[in-house]
Parts: sequence; C-alpha cells; structure tokens
Amino acid sequence: MSESEEKIIEIDNVYYEYPEGIQALRGVTNYVLRGEIVAIMGENGAGKTTLIKHFNGLLKPTRGRIKVKDKDTRETSVAELSRIVGIVFQNPDHQLFAETVFDEVAFPLRNFGFPEDAIENRVKWALNILELYQYRDNSPFMLSVGERKRLAIASVLAYDPEVIVLDEPTAGQDYLQKEKISEIIKLLKLMGKTIVLVTHDVEFVTMYVQRIIVMSQGKIIAEGPPHRVLTDYNVIRRGNLLPPQLVRISRALYGKSLLDRYDYLSVEDLSREIISKMREANGGTSSI
Amino acid sequence: MEALRAFKTIKKDSPYDRLDPRTRFFLSTVLALLAIYSSRLDTQLIVLTCVLSLSFMAKRVRVILRGLYGSLFLLVLIFTLNFVFTPNLQGAIYALVMTLRFATLITSFALFFNSTSPEEIGIALEGVGVPRDFSLLINMSFRFVPTLANDIQIVSDALRSRGLELEKGRLYNRIKNYVYLLVPLIIFEVRRSMMIAEALEARGYGLDVKPTRLVSLKFTWKDYLAIGLALLGTFLLYSFGFL
Amino acid sequence: MREKLVYLRDVSYRYPDSETQTLQDINFDGYRDEIVLLIGPSGCGKSTLARIFNGLIPNFYGGQLQGEIDIAGYDPRKTPTAKFAKTVGFVFQNPENQLFFNTVERELAFGLENLGVPPAEIRKKTDQVLREYGIEELRQRSPFELSSGQQQKVALASVMIMEPQILILDEPTANLDPFSALKMLGLIAKKTREHRMLTILIEHRLEIALQFATRVVVMNEGQIIADGPPLETVLKTDYIVGAPPMVQLSKKLQSSGFPINIDKLVPEAMALEIIRKLSKGGLDERKRREDNRDR
Repeated sequence: MSESEEKIIEIDNVYYEYPEGIQALRGVTNYVLRGEIVAIMGENGAGKTTLIKHFNGLLKPTRGRIKVKDKDTRETSVAELSRIVGIVFQNPDHQLFAETVFDEVAFPLRNFGFPEDAIENRVKWALNILELYQYRDNSPFMLSVGERKRLAIASVLAYDPEVIVLDEPTAGQDYLQKEKISEIIKLLKLMGKTIVLVTHDVEFVTMYVQRIIVMSQGKIIAEGPPHRVLTDYNVIRRGNLLPPQLVRISRALYGKSLLDRYDYLSVEDLSREIISKMREANGGTSSI
Repeated sequence: MEALRAFKTIKKDSPYDRLDPRTRFFLSTVLALLAIYSSRLDTQLIVLTCVLSLSFMAKRVRVILRGLYGSLFLLVLIFTLNFVFTPNLQGAIYALVMTLRFATLITSFALFFNSTSPEEIGIALEGVGVPRDFSLLINMSFRFVPTLANDIQIVSDALRSRGLELEKGRLYNRIKNYVYLLVPLIIFEVRRSMMIAEALEARGYGLDVKPTRLVSLKFTWKDYLAIGLALLGTFLLYSFGFL
Repeated sequence: MREKLVYLRDVSYRYPDSETQTLQDINFDGYRDEIVLLIGPSGCGKSTLARIFNGLIPNFYGGQLQGEIDIAGYDPRKTPTAKFAKTVGFVFQNPENQLFFNTVERELAFGLENLGVPPAEIRKKTDQVLREYGIEELRQRSPFELSSGQQQKVALASVMIMEPQILILDEPTANLDPFSALKMLGLIAKKTREHRMLTILIEHRLEIALQFATRVVVMNEGQIIADGPPLETVLKTDYIVGAPPMVQLSKKLQSSGFPINIDKLVPEAMALEIIRKLSKGGLDERKRREDNRDR
C-alpha cells in the first residue's frame, strides 16, 4: 500500500452496546486514510458520536476491533490514543476549567509530558493560528461562544495529533464563525492532518470533504464522494438529512431535461450552466 | 448496582399500588420504626415477614429480594462487625438483630420508592402541606439525576481525550485527577440551573395566583383500611410484649 | 388593518455590570400573523432582544432598559415575567433545560397549573394538545427518553397550551438534524397561522428557516441594521448573515442579466421559475426564428 493510501484508522466489524442495553453500533466496517477529509453524517442517534469515541479509546468495541496506526484500541490507553487522534467535542464548555487561555491549551501538553519550553512554543503557535493569542492571559470564560470553540480546537492542535476529529463543528455557529471554521479546516489540510468531521450540515460538507460516510441506526448505509452521496435521495432520507439546495434545484431542472446531470454542488458550476442555457434560449441576448 | 435498581420506579397493577402514596409511605415508615424500636430477634423476623408479605401483595417480591441480594455484602459486613465484639451466642443474636433491622429498612423503603414515581412523591409532599417550591425541587432533582450523570460522563470524556489519566496509575493521582472534572462540571451545572430558572419563569412559575394541580390525591377506604391495619398490628405487637 | 402586538421605540439595554450597551436604538413593530426571522452574528443582541418580549429582561437579568415598550399592553419594566406567560410563549434552545418533569402529561399541564386554571379544564386542554400535536402515546413517557425532535415538540406544546398571542423561539432547532429541524419549523409556521400569532424566530440555519419567514430582521452589534421582506433583506446583508446557496445562485443569475422572481424561498420553487424562464425563452427564440424565416 502506498504512503498516500495508508489506513490510519481501521474499523473492523465493530459492535458497541451501551451498559443500559442500547445497541449503538451494529457491525461497522470502514477506515480513515491518512491525509483525507472524511465526513460522518446521519440522524441524531445513528451512532456517529459513539463511533468517533472509539477512535481514541474512550469506548472499546463489545465485538470487533479498531486499529489506530496499527494499535488495537482495546489494548491501548485513552491517553496514548489521544496523542494520535485528537477529538474536539461539540460543546467546548464541557471541558473549560483553566485560569487562563494559555493554561487551557497547555493542559493536554502537560498531561502528555511535553517539556515546559516546548509547551510555551506550541501554545503560542496554536493560539496564533486560531487568532486567540491576544487572549492568552484572559480567563477562558470571558471569551465569546465562537472564540471558545476555537480555543477547544487550539487545545487539540497544540499537541499536534495526526488525526483531528471535529464533532459538529458548525452546530449553532453563525455564518462568520462557520467561515472561520472552514479556513481552519483548510489550514489543517495544508498541514497534512487527517480530518474527520461529524456533522449533519449538508451545505458545509459539500465544500471541503472528499468522502462522506452516512450512518443510520448503528450501521453504515452509504459511502462515497459528496457528489454521489448527497444526490442519492434514498440515502438522504434514511439519514434524516436534506439534499443540498443546489442539488434540489438541479434535480428539478434535470427532470425537465434541462440539465444532463444533477450533482451540482457549487454555485459557480450551476450558475454557469444555467446562464449558458439562458443565453442559448435567448439566441445569445442577455435579458428576457 | 442491583441494590440501586430496586429503587427505580415501576408501575404495577396491585392493591398496594392503588393505595395513596402517602399511605404507602406511612406503611414503610411504620415498619421501619418497628424494626428500629425493637431489639428482639422474633420481632425483627415478624416485621421483615410483614415487609415481604407487603411486597408479595405489591407483586414485587423478586425485585425486593434482588435488592436484598445486592446489599448482601453490606449485610454481612454489619453482622461481622457486630459479632466480632461479642463472639458468643448473645453477640450472634444481637448481630442478627442489627442485620435484620438494616434489611427491613432497605426493603421497606425500596418498596416505597419502587412503586412511587417522583411525580407522586411531589404530590404527596404537597398533600401534606409542603410548599410548592420544595416539592418542585424534589421533583426536578429526580428528573435531572440522569442528566447530571450524563454530564459527568461528557466532562470526563472530554478531559480524558486531553490526556487526563483516570484509568491507570496510583490511586492518589487518580483521585487528584478527578478534581479536574469539578470546575467545568460545576460551572456547566450552574449555567444549566440559570437556564432552567429562566424557563420556569417563562412558563409562569411564581405568578401571584394560587396554582392548581392536574392530579390531586384522595384517600379511599383502602387507605383507611391499610392505615388501620398497620396501627392495629402495632398495637397488637405492643400488647403482646414484642416491642 | 394589521393588528400591532408589539411596539418598541428607541429602546436600549445594558446588562448590569456591563460597560457597553447590548442594545441601542431599537425600533420594532410586530404584528399578528407574522413570522419574523431574527438573525445576526453571535453577540449581536438578538437573544437579548428576544428576552425583552417576555419580560425576562429586565426582571430576570436586571440591568437598564430604556425606551418605549408595549408588548400586548404590558411593559416589562412594570410587569413580572410570570405575568407575561399567558400572552407570550418562549421556547428555548435546549430541550433539556425546559422540560422539568418525568411525564409529558405533567409537563403540558405545568404552565396551566401556574396560571391557576381549574383542574378539569387543564385535563381537557392537555388531552386536546396531546391529540393536536400527535403525541398521545407519549403521555406517560419521561421526556428524558425521547428523541431531541420529540423533546422540542413537547416543549413547544407545553408553551402553546397556554394559548399565547406572541411566540418567541430562540434557536429551537439547534440540536436537531436537518429533517427534524424542517419538520419543527413547519410545525411552528402551521401553528402561527392556526392561532394567528406573532412569531419571532431566532435561527442560524437560513437554508432551512428562510422559507417560513414573512419578514427578516437583521441585527449587528446591538442594532437593527435591516428589516424587510426575506429575500431582499438577506441579499442586502449577506456579507454578515450569509446567504443560503439558492439565494447566492439567484444573485449570480441576476448579475448576469437573468433575474429570477422567487416568492417562495424553497429550491423547488426557484427551479420552477428557472424552468419557466428557459421554456419561455425557448418559445420566444423559436418564434423569433420562425418570424425570421417567414420574412
């Protein structure tokens, strides 16, 4: 297997049952390739968050196994796995406790045993990237909602895990915050990180993601590139998602044979098609 | 864990369930008090038998026995601790009395909590004159226990993902690490309680009107009968010298 | 003549211990039969404004509230929050924090109990609402066991049972998946029409919420910067609030000389318009060629 095809996470027929008896994962098999951006989508309760908690060992499969960089998660501690897979959970308020923003980001570094001077450098670096350096001596609780979210990401980025998992990064975020998160994801990709996004934001996912895994009721029901998965209405329905708006428009146009395909995910592409068709229909003139 | 499960609420169709929750509480209390008051072995056996008979009438014998089984460790501990100081027949009897007393306390109240939802506890409290604020507090405490348990799990997951070691290592260090959970948890729950308070007011709580109640309690002949029998039983035990 | 239910003139507000004004120069009129979508970046003051409508500000939060305010005849500075409950319903973002009891039935009854409604009437209304919202089989269930979509439905029902004239919803679909969010917002729109309310909805997911709005109000840094018809207002402020893809598409088409008239902000409606334009254009083009041939 070539370097670019390395499976950094392998999921092998995983079952997980919660102590109260709920079967959250029912035979999931898949993988995450090094360097890819993959999204896991599906309805609430489909098992998405349960699955990602297996990536750093918070949960161990009741059947089957998960390998992270060839380490079996059942035999490796959470701390050790977290060094490789950093998870940014949905609500940053569940983890903030430090007196300063600096200490908050330094916390995992200290836990992992980094030397103090390395910590200083890494924290500075991470805060700069997330545009939080000016708050380094402030209390984390003084930051706005969007800033706290960035702080959670900085805290994971600082110890440089190879895989970064973001659990619902755009939930409850406004437009400007979402733009910022997009930029961060682009940057992480440039840094060579592997990114896993758990989300049900279909519009967000069309822009950055190379592969989508759709889950429903503990199983994977579909997998593939966005233009294939997000145009499959059967899959979308089962995952309790909505098709992206542009797909809905192109589907209607395709139905009237005005387009040859309906997997349009970008405004540029679709508008170009429609405008050229409009121009044709008008014999080259521009307005009706 | 099994012992705690006996305290969870399950609704059943039995004469016991048809009693007013206040009556059920009264019965459990009477049995508990009898057990506490008497130091005689035969009385303890009588009282415990009463609890089991009541469980039978409530169709909950298996649940109660499972609860007892779950507390076996505790019961054995109580017996041993008491027997160790006076290791003779006298001591054994005394230790047995202590153990049975404890068993009665657990089972009589497990029976009550197993059949009485937090809702009913709230109504019962209001029925005996407890102010609404307090009964609401009790009700909501029950309601939010699973939520709180969930939050603890979430906070510990988040911190463990950041390298906090809660599984391995020396006990002292692990306990020290659990302290890290407290700050985010407390702040989170305080915020949560603010949001709950907001929502309560937005729903009209605290209006200067006398609040009504959808469901209200009413004593029936069954309740009077049960209370009467309990008092009669106590009187008989007393007059025959069992107490 | 539309019935005005809410009137705010030159309203400003500052939280206690805060050095900055959270709201300033707020002018807003709200009418019956409206669904106002209130949007803006985090921190713009929309949640604060929303809480003026049911008296939480200033009663619960304190602070300084100034200006002329009339909410269905009440002034929040002179009326306690609980008194607003009969007229203004408020649905919060997190279902967990607004469901207090162990059964759905009690949750529904609670608001009416607080208002001192006689038990027989509470019973009647509870049965009716359980039917109306299709949650009869959930009557004795604990809200904790329900899905988040069902929880928010119960939260909405327990507010609507009090028959408010004004309904405020602060990001009610934040925790829901897209399909459940769509259903929830559809339900809210339906109830607004049925009960002829003024509904003020705070939402970030414009691609789902915009289609239900009759009016959009945009806030930024404590002020209202735009207030008008949905499409026009979002186009005007898209650099702050972000336009959903179909709105971006319409903007592109417009700037290339092909304006599309969308009255219902749903992708399918826009597609229909495009189809119509293309067919008509095709018709015109064929006619033009025929005319040329005939000449």
